[in-house]
Amino acid sequence: MRPETKAYNFDWMLWRTLDLACNAMTGTEKELKIVMRHIPYFKDILDVFLAYGEPGKIFLKLVYEYMDNIMTAHEKGKKICGTTFCFSPAILYAMDTVPVTLELVTVLINSLWKRGIGEFSDFCYEAGLTETSCSSQRGALGAYLAGLGETFDFIVADTPGVCDTNANAFAFASAYLNKPAFALTFPDRLTGDDVDNYHQKDYRRMIDFLEEQTGNRLDTDRLREVLQEIKKQDEILAELEELQRAVPSPLPVTYNFFIYAGRFFFAGKPLLTELLLSMRDIAVTNMQEERCGLPSGKENTRALFCYIDHYTTNLALWSWLEERGITHMGNILSRFWADNTPYNQNRSNAYNIDSTNLDTMIDSLAAQNSRMPMVKSIRGPYDAPGMWLEDTLSLAQMYRADCIIYSGTPGCRNTWGMVKLLARDTEEAGFPTHIMYSDSFDERVESWEATSARLDEFFAVRGLL
Amino acid sequence: MTEIFIEASKKIYNSSVEQWTKDGKPVVGYTCSHLPAEVLHAAGVLPLRLRGMEVSGLEIGDSYFGPFICTMPRCLLQMAGTGKFDFLEGAIVTPGCDSMRRLDECWRKAGKDMEGTLPSFFAYFDVPHKETDYAHDWFKKEVLSLAGLLKKHFVTEDIIGKLPASIELYNHSRKLIKELQQFRKKNDCRITGYDALAVSVASTSMPREVFNSELEKLLSKLKNAAPVKEKGKPRLLVTGSATDDIQIIGLMEDSGALVAAEKICFGHFKTIGTIEGNSLESVAAAYLDGTECPRMFGKYEERRDSILALIEESDIDGVILQNIRFCDLHGSDNGLLEADLRKKGIPSLRIEREYGPLVERERLKMRIDAFIESIRGNLS
Repeated sequence: MRPETKAYNFDWMLWRTLDLACNAMTGTEKELKIVMRHIPYFKDILDVFLAYGEPGKIFLKLVYEYMDNIMTAHEKGKKICGTTFCFSPAILYAMDTVPVTLELVTVLINSLWKRGIGEFSDFCYEAGLTETSCSSQRGALGAYLAGLGETFDFIVADTPGVCDTNANAFAFASAYLNKPAFALTFPDRLTGDDVDNYHQKDYRRMIDFLEEQTGNRLDTDRLREVLQEIKKQDEILAELEELQRAVPSPLPVTYNFFIYAGRFFFAGKPLLTELLLSMRDIAVTNMQEERCGLPSGKENTRALFCYIDHYTTNLALWSWLEERGITHMGNILSRFWADNTPYNQNRSNAYNIDSTNLDTMIDSLAAQNSRMPMVKSIRGPYDAPGMWLEDTLSLAQMYRADCIIYSGTPGCRNTWGMVKLLARDTEEAGFPTHIMYSDSFDERVESWEATSARLDEFFAVRGLL
Repeated sequence: MTEIFIEASKKIYNSSVEQWTKDGKPVVGYTCSHLPAEVLHAAGVLPLRLRGMEVSGLEIGDSYFGPFICTMPRCLLQMAGTGKFDFLEGAIVTPGCDSMRRLDECWRKAGKDMEGTLPSFFAYFDVPHKETDYAHDWFKKEVLSLAGLLKKHFVTEDIIGKLPASIELYNHSRKLIKELQQFRKKNDCRITGYDALAVSVASTSMPREVFNSELEKLLSKLKNAAPVKEKGKPRLLVTGSATDDIQIIGLMEDSGALVAAEKICFGHFKTIGTIEGNSLESVAAAYLDGTECPRMFGKYEERRDSILALIEESDIDGVILQNIRFCDLHGSDNGLLEADLRKKGIPSLRIEREYGPLVERERLKMRIDAFIESIRGNLS
């Protein structure tokens, strides 16, 4: 790593940049224009947020608060927990602990760092982690391994058997940084009393670990507060999901990103509720006016992303979709499987929130966490009930997708072991399917220009536009 | 004196397996050392660890798996697709890692595309990633369920009733393999690393009764055998990803080293000693607790200490840390180990390779030669 990269802590710089970005949003139009002149590399990304009005502003505030929580945690006497997007932070908030979700911070680096995650990612290899590991963790992890961020007090992950590469990154971090770690694990099936029993016991064991590490007892009232907020959020999400089914979709394409990133950042926090409400209001208005959520107002085609999105170069995927009139029908990250969502009708694999007492609340959280993105859908064989194929096909049908797109990272052993099979099945079911060979977090693998050219080719060859 | 083991380590359908099938008895392949072979044995089935060294291309494996996947499961699928596993009556896939677990779906899909590729008995066997009480309960249920499937498919006699004899047979086997390690001591080494790994690999590739009998004969011969030439040869330990290719060890020894110990999935890897008790529960507990694989996350320090103990015990001069490309679990463990070994002044070489016939021979040889040369000067 270059000495100048080590000169300042990376998280401090992200924090200050986000602070400035939030301030820019509150300025006059003239002030904003001047600001834009001074940030030629980042004006596109700020534009993305500005273009979405209130939700964009709230989202930016939410991201800033997330970083602010991290940067001020230790001075406020709070513990910092290194974790993954597959793990719901709700329990951490209930225990007054501050999460650092590596994959989210990796996306932030890509959004706010001219050079992207390259140098930090490469530091992981210097430290001993394989360069074939997933870039979603490596981006931020490299900075933490290099000692350029707030120190983790402990680590909680939940991906052994769901994504071994992810789990391995956290196990490596624990050994390298000499920090205690806990990994939630899951049987390869999703439902059944024995499976529920396993989830619940493991989750309780994790709470013991958290209590030991934080020195705090899990507070029933605080937990109830968080769960009730999640319940509210689930209801708004269900409305948004229902609205998304309409043709044309009244949801702007970035809403999908706001939904899952917001949930990963702030599940159970009132600021997320505020964001979701502002999104819902706009989507409802669009729906009432029979308007598509795209800036052009015209929906040409509908794409379901069966895995994740693409997060390099000013988050260019979303503007690329907008320009072509392609609406985003969600991805594996944006579905959380609450019992009130439209895609859970007649399905037995949803969770529900029961805040009757401490036990029911812990069981609810265990059920919710065991249905987090990836944890739910790729823990077992791709063609087993409630797994990747069934979810993808039912979502594609329900949301009337015209095509399916796989975007991932070369580090994803689990999906690369089955995506060709999935694509065959989805094609057979009548959905043109495109496999992207790029790295969603690292443009050095394939430039966005090359990636978007392949996407253009797919949409053209398959007659989708 | 080790010909039968070498044949078994190089050829999946070796002479002892051939004899087994000629006797009309079933063979079931498996993919991971977490599978309790005793249960299959008690069902009258030959448990055979699947290996993919006999491929000459990967066009079938590559058709089903994506490109960023370890070559081992791709080689296994290639073996299945080219008829080299046709003698199998069954196969069991275990989530040893993400690449290997997807062999389940890829093989099933290939079975639909190419008639006869999929054995008539095909099962997925879940293994937890931790060793808590509830993980043990889960694993016991999985083992019990597997026994039920075997009983139903192979219409076997009482598996539970036969289990004690199988446990005893495998305990004896492990005892014999441990005895073999005694013949690898410094200044009195009677067996090369090449031959020793062949024995270990053969233990998973031969009927256990035949293996034990042949190993007893070998041990008896080794008692009176002349020591192998050791002067000037650094004693190496090999660790990392699954290695059933004795040619890699041969390459190291041809370069002037003596491989005196391994800590790999096909070698001196398992820490399962004598299984106490005769029950299915005791077998399950031993297999869940008794392997040193990085798939059991959060146990790096235990694995490192076990390797350090083996280095001490075997008078090791240098360590080869190898991993198959895309094996992030062993690869990252190797990264941690490299740093810890350096702190202790133990020379090590970290290499990444592909699984399969030794296609990278010259590249590996160059690095191994350089490593051996660099540590030879330090030999006492």
